[in-house]
Order: sequence, then structure tokens, then C-alpha cells
Amino acid sequence: MGEYVLEVRNLEKYYGQNKVLDNVNLSVRKGEIYGLIGANGSGKSTFMNILFGNSVISGTGGYKGEILFEGKSVQIRSTTEAIRRGIGMIYQEFMLIPEMTVAENIKLTRENTKNIFGKILKHNLSFVDRKMDEKEAEGVLEQLGFEIDNTYLVKNISVNAKQFVEIAREVNREDIKLLLLDEPTAVLNDEDAGKLMRVLKELAQKGTSIIFCTHRLHEICEVCDHVTVLRDGRVVSDYEKEDLDMRTLAKDMIGYDVAAVKKQHKNQEKKEILTFQDFSVHMPGEFLDRLNLDVYQGEILGLTSLSGHGKLAAGYGVMGQFSVTGSLFCEGGKVDVKDVRKTIAKGIFLLPDDRKNMGLLLEHSVRDNIIFSGYYGRNLFQKKAGGFFPVKDKKEIERYVQEQIEKLDIKCESPDQKVKELSGGNQQKVCIARAVLVAPKILFVMEPTRGVDIGAKEKILDMLVQINREHGTTIVAASSELEELKRISDRIAVLCEGKLSCILPPEASDEEFAFAFTGEEEEDGQ
Amino acid sequence: MIKKVQRDELIVPVTFILFSIICFFLSGISFLFLAEQVSLRFIRNIILVLALIFPIMAGMGLNFAVVIGTMITQACFIIVLNFNITGGKGAGTVLIVSLAAAAGVGYIIGRLLNKVRGREMVTSIVVGFLANYIYQLIFVAGFGTVIHVFNKKLVLSTGIGVKNMVDLKTFKEVFDNLGVFSIGEAKVSMLLLAMILVCGSFVFYLMHTPLGQKIKAVGMSEEKAANIGIDTDRVRIIVIVLSTVFAALGQFVYLQNIGSLNVYTEHLDTEKFACAALLAGGASIRKAGVKNAFIGVVLLHTLFVLSPLAGRNTFANASLGEYFRSFVAYGIIAFALVVNLRLEQKEES
Amino acid sequence: MDSKIKLPQIIITVFMIALFVLAAFLDMDIPELVSGSFTKFVMNGVLVLAMIPMINAGVGMNFGLPVGIVAGLLGMCMAIQLRMTGISGFLGAVLLSVIPAVILGMVYAKILNMVKGKEDIAAIFIGYSFIPIMNFVWTVIPFTNREMLYPVGAEGLRPKISLEKYFGNVLNELLVLRIGKLSVPLGLLCAYAVVCLFVYLFFRTKSGTVMLAVGENEKFCQLSGIRIDNVRTMAIVLSTVIGAVGICVYAQTYGFVELYNAPLSHSFPAVSAILIGGCIGKRAKIFHAVLGTYLYQTIYLLSAPIANAILIPQMSEIVRMIITNGIILYAFLKQERRKQQ
Repeated sequence: MGEYVLEVRNLEKYYGQNKVLDNVNLSVRKGEIYGLIGANGSGKSTFMNILFGNSVISGTGGYKGEILFEGKSVQIRSTTEAIRRGIGMIYQEFMLIPEMTVAENIKLTRENTKNIFGKILKHNLSFVDRKMDEKEAEGVLEQLGFEIDNTYLVKNISVNAKQFVEIAREVNREDIKLLLLDEPTAVLNDEDAGKLMRVLKELAQKGTSIIFCTHRLHEICEVCDHVTVLRDGRVVSDYEKEDLDMRTLAKDMIGYDVAAVKKQHKNQEKKEILTFQDFSVHMPGEFLDRLNLDVYQGEILGLTSLSGHGKLAAGYGVMGQFSVTGSLFCEGGKVDVKDVRKTIAKGIFLLPDDRKNMGLLLEHSVRDNIIFSGYYGRNLFQKKAGGFFPVKDKKEIERYVQEQIEKLDIKCESPDQKVKELSGGNQQKVCIARAVLVAPKILFVMEPTRGVDIGAKEKILDMLVQINREHGTTIVAASSELEELKRISDRIAVLCEGKLSCILPPEASDEEFAFAFTGEEEEDGQ
Repeated sequence: MIKKVQRDELIVPVTFILFSIICFFLSGISFLFLAEQVSLRFIRNIILVLALIFPIMAGMGLNFAVVIGTMITQACFIIVLNFNITGGKGAGTVLIVSLAAAAGVGYIIGRLLNKVRGREMVTSIVVGFLANYIYQLIFVAGFGTVIHVFNKKLVLSTGIGVKNMVDLKTFKEVFDNLGVFSIGEAKVSMLLLAMILVCGSFVFYLMHTPLGQKIKAVGMSEEKAANIGIDTDRVRIIVIVLSTVFAALGQFVYLQNIGSLNVYTEHLDTEKFACAALLAGGASIRKAGVKNAFIGVVLLHTLFVLSPLAGRNTFANASLGEYFRSFVAYGIIAFALVVNLRLEQKEES
Repeated sequence: MDSKIKLPQIIITVFMIALFVLAAFLDMDIPELVSGSFTKFVMNGVLVLAMIPMINAGVGMNFGLPVGIVAGLLGMCMAIQLRMTGISGFLGAVLLSVIPAVILGMVYAKILNMVKGKEDIAAIFIGYSFIPIMNFVWTVIPFTNREMLYPVGAEGLRPKISLEKYFGNVLNELLVLRIGKLSVPLGLLCAYAVVCLFVYLFFRTKSGTVMLAVGENEKFCQLSGIRIDNVRTMAIVLSTVIGAVGICVYAQTYGFVELYNAPLSHSFPAVSAILIGGCIGKRAKIFHAVLGTYLYQTIYLLSAPIANAILIPQMSEIVRMIITNGIILYAFLKQERRKQQ
């Protein structure tokens, strides 16, 4: 193995106040396949985006630290620049133009041209040599061992085939020095994944370096020369090929520290309150694929997965935010998810993960936010003035709001303060107060502790348990924070690639969870 | 699936054909007269319609700011006349200056539209209106006050402001001397026809170059195009520059053929009629081609020629036909907007 | 989004004062101009208020104002047909406009709800394509009052129907207060205040507050079980009704009912007036509408005689339209910048 193609030194990246990459150091040799693994929020996508000059990075204040590419210090400002330097990226969600043919996609920006007008016109304005493009595209696909008619439009080919087209596009580049792969095998079956592994090895032998992100640990073990595990934006461990072991990797990825299970689990009779039947949700980036799941009355069900694997989709599907197929039953009755008002009337409520855009009225006061769903959605706080004219019951509202502010310890100057001026934790408490007022039978909470400081986190978790105890509310908590779910849940359902992987008790070991997350069978790991 | 899409594309043109047939019989004019009128209007308007294709391909929707290109050409004619440059030299100057100015202004519009992603259409309409009034300000108040008048024939008797009507015969003669053929009573220069052919083939050619591929990619998905390494901002600016230049050229051909210029009204609503024509040819707000432009201009103008005549013939009231005509022009744009946005929303969910 | 006065308002105000000074230099009758500014202000004020419900419900600026205006025109034509006169005639016209306004508003809302996110451009073309339909209607509608019809020859209603014998200027002449040379049309101002109060009170009711919430965060409201489309429909209908009332007030001051293409000329000025008042297109307050209308109309009023004095009479109209479109463009750019933050 020769010199380093890429060296990253002290890389740091903030999204607002959140540090998502902290002092990351790694070096990739020429012709090496470098594995990068980590759970959600470990920072691996951010890392890839920085290397590929994605506009998300420059749009959020850039990064700190040094990147050496082929020994020279570089600042990668745009995708165009990354490509010019010889970096390529294969995305998890395809960057293919659906209305173009396979060949057009593969050759896009690198078309062969005929010089009808001689050399006067530069590449951009010469006539595209379609035949030549198709021939070359066919060649590349053949090299990948994948056969498809390259005059098909990409929108008409299978997901499997799309992945190969995407790979073919990058492989076709002659100047490619470093190839970044973000979960390329997520949609491939084992056979095709195997083909891909073979291609990667060939590429590496020709001298292209590869950074490979996946959650399929056995693939990492199979092809990678070197593996780095990221957790919470930090490098936690580094392994050479000889030391690779799926168990250790899984443990490193999820983390060791197990907090005491706080909640005493109730042993109660299992009565279904909510039943998902072949419930698919077409949420972009979080596809949920035919979920079959019973939620029992009075339990707290944890719902977790790596990001993009469907944990959020269930709740949003129930609340009619995305198109769904399959059916949903609540206490035996079928729920029409399109009619959100009826769903709420049936006693289902949801607190979204994206508080700023979905969970709060930022320009409104704390009071307005707390009472909103109850007042408008369920017509609470109405009294009849003069016998028949319905008006707002201001006294009752004031009493309730004060009570909630004290109970939840919401730190605000007054109920009139605008919610946008509160901290993340207090905002989430406002959301919870809002849900309590609606008194749902089933409450979906999405990422309840994201962007919340430690103190508020405890309060929020306490509150969820309390709502469950005192009001008998069934809670479905979707979160990527496994530790927290373990503390509050009665059962934890783990999703992988949009499918239910397994349902585990909170006492299950981290290893069991790790394998459930990655969809690996435990037997394979031995 | 594919068949269904084609049927959707056909609905609008077929409706137009049906209406035209009805109007044709109601109007009671000869087919020859109709053919003459339509082909004349076709030659005058086609390039402006072609100018709309690029922005649609790049996903920017209908570019109502093409009207600025037409105003630039008109301004150039007046300014060149003010310097008393006539004949071939004058026409050449107008052509070169207006195309160069259109490219420059197109760059500015492109920059502006890049700042209002997702609302390009409404912004382009407002920019067009704004430009119209600035244009008026220049020729109503600027001439004779800030701008020195060399050609007294241009301005009103007060000495301030350009007359409503400006004669362009001196330029028209140049083109007419280079070979003409006549459609009915009107004469059409061969050179203009050649320009139209060149423009049409240029659009077609461009769509088969790497730049054309980039434009298509940006139009289909800007995010993906950016991630493949296409500089989307640049592509969008190029598209608007091309569009504005085409519009300027289109107005050059139009005025050259007519031979006179209504300084303050000639350009009004041209952009909307051009959009209506393109949509009539089966284009949508996301997809358009040379074919749509050619078919659409014929269809729209057939109806435009026929409907007032049909109105007069059947209701003894020409204005009813004219109302119908404007309803068709604006209604088709409203219809296309609603249908396309609905489709987009369906795709998203 | 406080109603603090920002740079554009300062520029416009300074411009207005400069015009006043210039007018004084040109020996114009300042008290008469000021009196005129009140009339002009109320004349257009209600039309500007028609922007508020739609902006606040997040539907965007009401470029489809012609829809509401047409409803008002229908109401007034019916009132003329029934030969209603005086104050009661005016109120009758207003009441008669409400019915078509509600119906047309519903249709308008139905279309706008299909094009969420691009309402602006759709509304512009709904307005444009609705006018020729109405032109058709004006031509064939079977009204019989001779004063509404073309005198001889042509069919249909005449483009400009005089209100002199009906309810022209009834509000203008109601309770006019004279202080020296200055005359303040109190009745007119009161009528405007009543409409303002009505809009203000509406946004205090439950439906009003929920409208504000929908405008601020649609997803949030949807998750709280609010039927977004219904709220939007209500906002659009309300805007249309206010637009209809607005044209009635406008016509009685102007003295004529203008049919055919006239409704088209009101939407852009109304949009830009509220923007000049300090609304940037997300949350509109009555204050924005009032301030904006006053500044916008007064500038227009002042610039006309000044333009005449410098021998370019079209100037004032051109400058007004440059300001109108410039402000709208500015608002688009500014909204975009806000979104990115």
C-alpha cells in the first residue's frame, strides 16, 4: 500500500450549537477500502458531505480542521470542485435523473461528442454522440457484471438496477481517485451485494481508494482493509483487517454504558389497542415497509432504528402526513389515516420530532401553544356566555397553563412569552403540556429528547412515564436514543431497512440490539 | 402508462382543434385567407415562443420576463433611429446591440431568479411589469430631457417623449430587397425565414449537447444535478440569457416584418400570448419542445384569427369573440398551472 | 414580526414629504391636497384590507382581487337595476355583493387549494382569465335600466356607469368637518374604521386565531386536527367579500361603476400598498394596511399635479407603477432571504 490519498486532521463541524464532528482524524491509503461505521448521529454522513463539498456544509457555516488530498491541503467548497479533484460519491438515495435513460445518466456531464463544427465549439456545445455513450455505458455495466438495456428510462428500472447505474456512473470516471459510498448495499439483495463487493475490490486493486459506509457488518468485515468506528461525532476505535470482529464492531457502534432501568415494568394483560396491518408509509428518506405490529393498551412501546430506516414513518403515517397502504385498527375499528381530525377524535395524538417546523407556533405565546390542540382540536375551554354564545374560558385557561408550567418546570418569564425565545428543552415541555391537555389514548412521541439539555431530558422522560401511569395513556416513543428507550419502555421494536427487525425487552443486551439494528442474524456473527 | 401520458399531452391541442373547426364554420371565411393569416402570424411569433422552451427545460417554469427581450429590441430601434442610422447599417446595428444588451440583461434576470427559487414565474411576471414601466419612463420622460434628441421626427411636438408610432420602413426595405415571397398581401423576407429556421434548429441542436443534458438534469431535479457536480446556478443563468436573447431576436423579426413600431403597446402581453401558444401545443410547465412551439403557434393563432370573426358572424358582436380569445389565452395558462402543480403535489406525497 | 417602521417605510415617507414640499413650491393648494388625501385613502383602503385574511392564513398575497371586485360590481349593478339610492342604496349594494362574493370566493378557494405553494402566480392568472368571462357576462346580462346600457348601437352594459343618481359620494358627503380650508370626510373615515374594526375583531375570534396559526405553521395545525383547507377557504372567502365591499366604497367615491377590464388594475396597487405599510407577506396587520394605503395613495395624489406642472402628465402614473412593482419585487426577495435564515 502506497502513500495516503486522504488525510483528515482535527475535523470539527457544528450544526448550530450541536457539535456533530469532534476532532476526527483518519487517513486513507491509495487503493485501500476504508470502512466507516457508526449509528445515527455518529457523524458519518456529515463527514462524507464535507469531503464531497455538499452545499449543506457551506450553508451551515463550513467546517474546521484540515483536509489533505494527495498530500496537499485543500478546501473543498463545492461538489463541482470535489469532482474535479477526483472524488466521487454514491448516495444512499439515488442521484439519478429519472426521466433520462440509463446511458444518459451514466455519461451525464461526461458525454462523448461529435465535432460537427470542428473545434470551434467547446465540449458543452458539441453534439452528443448517443451511440458512443450507449456503447460505453454498456461496457461499464458489463464490467460490473450487471446486464440491463441502457436505453431504458431510469424511472422504469428496479431499485436494484438503479444502484448499479449509480455505481456505474462513478466507476466510469477515469480520473476517480477516491470513491465515497454511503450505504450502497442497503437496497441490494445478497447476490447483488456480493457483486458489488467484487467490483469494489477490483477498483481498489486498480488504485482507487474507497470509503465505505454501511451498517451491514459482515460486508465491512469482508472487504475493508481498515475500519473506523464513529460515535457521537468522535472516533471511538480503529481496526486493521486482521482484528475485525463483528461483535466488537457492533458494541463499539452502539456504546457500552447501560443506565439502570428506571421504570418498573407492569405485568398486565395484553390487550391490543392499535394494530398495524401491512402498514407501509411512503415517507421520503424513511420508508416503512409493511409493518405488522400490535400495540398493547397501557404500555410504552419504544420504536427505534438507524436513521432513515423507518422509525419516524409509523407515527407520521398514522397522522396522515404521507401516503400509506395497508390498514390500521384502533380498538378494533379501522382508522382512516387521511382524516386527521377523526384520528385525533379517536384518541390518537402525535408530538413531532421537528419541533420548529411542526411542533410549535414559534411566534405565539407559551399559553397559546399549550392550549392550542385542546382548544381548537377538541373544543375545550368553551363556556357559554349569555346562555348560548360560546366564548373562550380565560380563567380556566390561565389556571391550566399555570399548573402545567409549574408541574413541568417550564422556564419562561410568563405565559405570554413567545415560544421561540425558549430553550429546546422548555419547548419540548410546552409540546408535552399540549399533548397532556388533549388527553389522548395513544400518544406518539418522535425523538422526544432531541436537542434537549440533560436536565430537561430527565424531566421529559419522567413526564412520559407519568402520563403513562396516571392517565393510562399508551405511548409509542420513536427515538434513536436507545438508552432512553430502555429506561422508559415496556417493549422496544427495532426496525431495519423499513421492516420490523424484532421486538426486544428493554433488558436485552446491547449486542442483541446491535444485531437487530443492522438486520444481521446473530448466528452469522459467530 | 406511457399511452396515458401521451393522451394527457393531447387533450389541450385536440380541444384547440375542435374549437378552431367550430369557429371556422361560424366565421365563414375562406381557408386560404385563414392559412395566409396564420402563416404570417406564425412567422412573426414563433421565435418568441421558442424562447420559452429553455427555462421550462431547466425547471424554471414559464419565463414571463421574455417581454424584456422584446422591449430591448424596440428600444434599440428607437435609439438607432435617434442617431439617424438608417438602412442596412442601422438594421445590423440594431440586431447586434439588442442581442448583446439582451444577453447582459438576461444575466441580471437570471441572477435575480436564482434568488427566488420556487417562485420564478411570479417573480418573472413582476420583473416584466417593472421593466415595462421603466421602459415607458425612458421614452415618455427621458427623451428630450436627459437623452438628447438627434432625430426630431421621433419626438412629440412638446419636444419631450417619443411619439406613439415610429416608422421602421427604412429597415424593412433592406430585408425586402434581399428576396421576398408574399403571403396574401404581406411580404415576408427570405432572410427572416432563414433566421427562424436557424433558431428552430439551434434549440433542437442545443438539446442534444452536453449543455442541453445539463439543462434537462437541472430541470428534472436540481438537488440531484447539484450532487452530480453540475453548477445549477450557472445553468439557470445561461438558460435565462438564451431565453432573453431569443426574445430580442424574435421581436426583431416581428418588427422587421411589420415595418412600424407602436412604441408603448407593441410588447404588451406578448409574453402571455407566447406562453399560451406553447401550452396550446401540448407543452406543460415542466416539459416543452420545439414541436410544441410549432404546433402551438399554429393552433393558438388559428383560434385568434377565427374567434372574433366567428363572434361577429354569429352574434353580430365581434367583441364576444375577442373575450373568448382572451379567455382562451389566459385560461390556458391558469389551467396549465393548476394541472401541473396538482401533479407535482401528487408525486410528492 | 413587529410593526416597527423599517427602511422602506422611511424612504417612502421621506419621498412623500419631499413631494409635499415640492407641491408647496409649485404653489399648490396644500389644504385641498390633504383633504383629497383622506378621500383617496379611504377610497382604496378597503381594497387593501382584502389582502389581510389571505396573507394571514398563509395563502399569500391576494393577486386574485379581481374576483372580489367583480362580485362587488355585480352587487352594485343589481342595486342600480333595483334603483336603490342614498345611504340605504349603498348599504343595499354592499349586501347584494356579499352573496356573489361568497360563491365566487368558494370557487376561487377551491382552485387555490389545489396549487398550494404557488398561489401567487395561479391567482394572477385566475384574475386574468376571469375577466374575459365576466366581459361576456356584462355583454349579455339582461339588465334593463337604461342608464346602465350602452346608449345606442352596441349590446350590453356600458363600461362606466354613473352613480350620480344612485349612491355616488353618499359616504363622502356624510358628516364633513371643515376646519378652515381643510375638509375632513368624517363619515367616510368612520365607514373605513368600521371595516377595520370588523377585520380586527375577526382575528380575535376563534376562527380568526386559528387562521393566524395556520398561516404560521400549517403542519402544526394539521397535527392538531385542524382542517387546513377549510380554514384557507374561509380566509379566501373573507378576502373576496372584503374585496367586494372595497370596490363598492371605491365606486361611490369615484362616482362611477367601472366594468370590463377595470378590475384588473386594482390588484397590484393593493398588494404593494400593504407591503409599503411594512408587511412582508407573512403576517399582515391592520396597521400595515392603513399606513400603506395612506402612503401609497398620497404619493399618487401628489405626483399627478406635479407631473402636470413639469409638462409630462403620464409621469405620475408611470412612477406609481414603478414603485408598485418595485415594492412587490423587493418583498419577494426579502421573503426568500428570511426563509434562508
